[in-house]
Amino acid sequence: METFREYLPPVVLVLLVLAVGAIEPGFLAVDNLLTVTADTMTLFLMASGATFVIMMGGIDLSIQGVASMTSCIVAALLPELGFAAVPVALFAGAASGLLCGIVSTRLRIPSFIASLAISGIVTTVAYWASDTRSVLIAAGDRDSFLAWAVGDTGPLQNEILVGLVALLLLGLLLNGTPFGRYVRAIGSQERAVVASGIPVERVKILAFTLSGLMAGLAGVVMAGRLGSGSPTLANEFLLPAIACIIVGGTAITGGVGSIFRTFIGALTIAVVRIGMTFVGVSVFAQQIVFGLILVLAVAITMDRSKVTTVK
Amino acid sequence: MSVLEVRNATKRFPGVVALDDASIRVDRNEVVGLIGENGAGKSTLLKVLTGIYRLDEGEVRVNDGVIELTSPRDAFDHGVAMVFQEQSVIGTLSVAENIFLGREGEFIKGGLIDRGRMNEAARVELAKVHLDIDPAIRTEELSFAQRQMVEIAKALSLDSRIEGDIVILLDEPTSVLEKREVDLLFEIIRDLKDRAAIVFISHRLDEVLAISDRIYVLRNGAVVHETPATDATVTELHGHMVGRSLHHEYYREQRQSGAGERCVLEVKGLGRTGAFEDVSFALREGEVLGIAGVVGSGREALARCLAGLLPPERGEILIDGQPARLDSPARAVGHGVGFVPSERKAEGIVTGMSVCENVTLASLADFVRNGFIRRGDERAATQGWIERLSIRTPSGRTPIASLSGGNQQKVVLAKWRVAGSRIVILDHPTRGIDVGAKEDVYELVRDMTGEGLCVLLLADTLEEVIGLSSRIIVMRDGRVSATFDSPPGGKPNQVDLVRAMV
Repeated sequence: METFREYLPPVVLVLLVLAVGAIEPGFLAVDNLLTVTADTMTLFLMASGATFVIMMGGIDLSIQGVASMTSCIVAALLPELGFAAVPVALFAGAASGLLCGIVSTRLRIPSFIASLAISGIVTTVAYWASDTRSVLIAAGDRDSFLAWAVGDTGPLQNEILVGLVALLLLGLLLNGTPFGRYVRAIGSQERAVVASGIPVERVKILAFTLSGLMAGLAGVVMAGRLGSGSPTLANEFLLPAIACIIVGGTAITGGVGSIFRTFIGALTIAVVRIGMTFVGVSVFAQQIVFGLILVLAVAITMDRSKVTTVK
Repeated sequence: MSVLEVRNATKRFPGVVALDDASIRVDRNEVVGLIGENGAGKSTLLKVLTGIYRLDEGEVRVNDGVIELTSPRDAFDHGVAMVFQEQSVIGTLSVAENIFLGREGEFIKGGLIDRGRMNEAARVELAKVHLDIDPAIRTEELSFAQRQMVEIAKALSLDSRIEGDIVILLDEPTSVLEKREVDLLFEIIRDLKDRAAIVFISHRLDEVLAISDRIYVLRNGAVVHETPATDATVTELHGHMVGRSLHHEYYREQRQSGAGERCVLEVKGLGRTGAFEDVSFALREGEVLGIAGVVGSGREALARCLAGLLPPERGEILIDGQPARLDSPARAVGHGVGFVPSERKAEGIVTGMSVCENVTLASLADFVRNGFIRRGDERAATQGWIERLSIRTPSGRTPIASLSGGNQQKVVLAKWRVAGSRIVILDHPTRGIDVGAKEDVYELVRDMTGEGLCVLLLADTLEEVIGLSSRIIVMRDGRVSATFDSPPGGKPNQVDLVRAMV
C-alpha cells in the first residue's frame, strides 16, 4: 500500500500526458513539453517552500500574497536599483515568512490563521509598493536583470533551470540535513521532538521563512515572465499550489512527503489544466476541477484509516 | 450461567493471528482476570467484546444467545460496557455530560436537556464510585484518577438502564492509579459483583490475583491457562504468560552499583507553585534515585522540571557542581539530561520514523559533516545499539511503529545512550510493556549505572522502585516527606514507604 501511494503520482502524470497526447498529438512534441514544464515552474517554486510547512503539519496560506508582493517590489525597484531589486524582493518574501513563523510559534497561533493574517499584510505592502496599479517592467530592464529567470540557455528556458536548481537544493535540504529531518519529525510527532531537546520553534520559523523566500522567488519569476508586477498577480495560485503538493503525495497531516513529489504534482496540475483547455473546459470552471482534484488526492494519498477525527 | 461468552474466537490480521481459537466465559457475579503479555490478544479480544472488531471465526454470546455486536454503542445496549485504558472522557464537557454522552434522550424536556435532572442522575452514578464531586464541573478540572472514576461511573450507569445482566470490562484500570485509589477501586469492584460481571485486565499480576475469582492467561492469541484465583501464584501465572519461569533475581539487585564519589546532579530548594516546593537532593554517579509518591505528590512535575519541560520558579540546580538553568528541553539535553517519558507514544518516539531516525534524533549534530547527515555512520551507530540493547527489529530502517512497546522503549533508551546523556530520567519506564521487556529494561538500568550514569526513577509500582533504587525519596503534597537508603540486601519495606506517601 505504501509503495502504491508512493508511485501512484508519477504513474498518473505519465498516463495524463499520454491521454492529453491522444487528444492532441502535438502536445507530445519535445518543444511543447519543455514549454509546458517552463510554464509550470512558477507554480512549483511557490509550492516547493510551502512543502516544508505542510510536512511539519502546518499550512502556509500566504504564498500567493507573498508572490504578488514580490512581483510589485521587483517591478517597482528595477528602474532604480537594477539587479539589487531581486534580492530586496526575495528578502521581503523571506521576511514575511519569518514573521509568519514567529507569529505562529511564539504566539501559539495555528499556522493557517497566522498565514492568513500575514497574507493580508503582504497584500497591503503590494498595494503600497505598486501604488495600487500594475507596474510595467521595461523590456530593457527585464533583459538585463531578469534574464536568469526568463531567458533561454541553449534549448532550455531558464525557468526550467531555476526550477531544477530549486528542486535539487531543497531536495538536499529536506533529505540530507538535520533541518529536513526535524521538519519531517515535527510533522510526525511534535511532542516527542520537543522532548528530545530539538529547538522546534526555530525549525518551524526557518521552514516558514523558506516558504516565504520561495514564494517570493516565484513572484519575481512571474513578474519577469509577464513583464509586470501587480498586487493580484498570483491570485488563483493558492489552490493549485496546495493541490500540487498534495497531488504529488505529500500528506496534508505532515510527516510524509518530498520536494520531488511536489515537482511531479506541479506538472500533473499543469497537464490537467492544459488537458481541460483542449477539451474546452472554461478557465472559470477549471477551479472546480482543482478543488475536486485536491479532495481526491487527499483521499487517495492519505492513510485515512489512521485518522480518527477530522478538524 | 454465563453472562458473556466467546467461543472458539479467531481473528486474523495481515501477517498475524491475533486470536487463535480462544474461548472465555464470564459468569454472573464474577470477576474474571485476563492477563497476557503485550500482543497476547487481550486488546483484540476486548475490541471484539465491544463491537469494534468482528470475528473471522467463532461466536460471541450474551446471556446464552448468539449475537453480533456491531459497535461500542450496540455492545453498551447489550449490557457490555468498557472502561478504556486511554481515557475516553471529554475534558470540556461536564462530568454529567460525560456520563450520559450519547444518551441525553432521557433528560430531554421540550427539546432541551434538563441539566438539573441530568446532574441529579449523575450524582447517583458518582455515589457508586464514592466520588463526591459536583457533576456540573468540567471533567478537565479533575485529577487523572478522578477522571478514571468518572469513566467507571459512566460504565456503571448501565446498571439502572439495562434489563438483565451487565458486564464491565476494565482495561488496565490501575496503571495510572496509586495504591490508595487502587484499594478504593477494588472496594467498588467488590460492591459491583452483586450486580455485574467484571472482566479485569492488568499487567500487575498481584492485583489480578487479589481481585479476580477466575483467571485466564492468554499467549499468542490463545488461552493457555485457566485457573481459580485461589489456586494461583504470581510466579506460576508469570510462567504461563511468558512460557518460562520468573527470573529469580527479578530486579537484578546483585548488579546494583554503589554510589560513586562524584555528585552529578544537585537540587536545592526547588519549587514551582502548585506543583512542588522546597525539593532538595543530590544524585551521584552510578546511583538510581527512586522518587515515590501518589498522584498529585508533585513527583511527575519534578521529573518534567528536570527534563526542561516545566521550568522551576525557585531554587537551584547544579550539574557537576555548576549552576545549570534547565528552562527548555534543549538546554536540559545540552547538560546531559535524557528524559524517558511515561507517555511513550506521544513524547518518547516519533511514530512515523524509522528505528534509526529515532535513535539519532537527540544527537543528530554528531552525525553531520558539511551540513549533511552521514547516513552510514548513523546506521552503524544504530546497529551497534540494536545489538547492545537486544532491540528486536528486522533492521534500523524498520518503522518504529511496527515494534512492540518494550522494544520501542529500548529505542528511547538507545536515543539517550547515543546522545551521551549522563542523567537519565525514567518516568514510568515499564508502563504498558510486557514482563519480558520489563526485565530487559531492568538490565539496561543496571548497565547504565554500571557505566557511571545516574538515573532518576519514577517507577510503576512500589515493588519496582524498591527493587531498582539505591536511594528513595518519598514525596507528599509537593514536598519531600522521607528519604530511604535502599542497598542490595537492605531494602526498605513497602509499608514504610506508604506511610510516608499518604
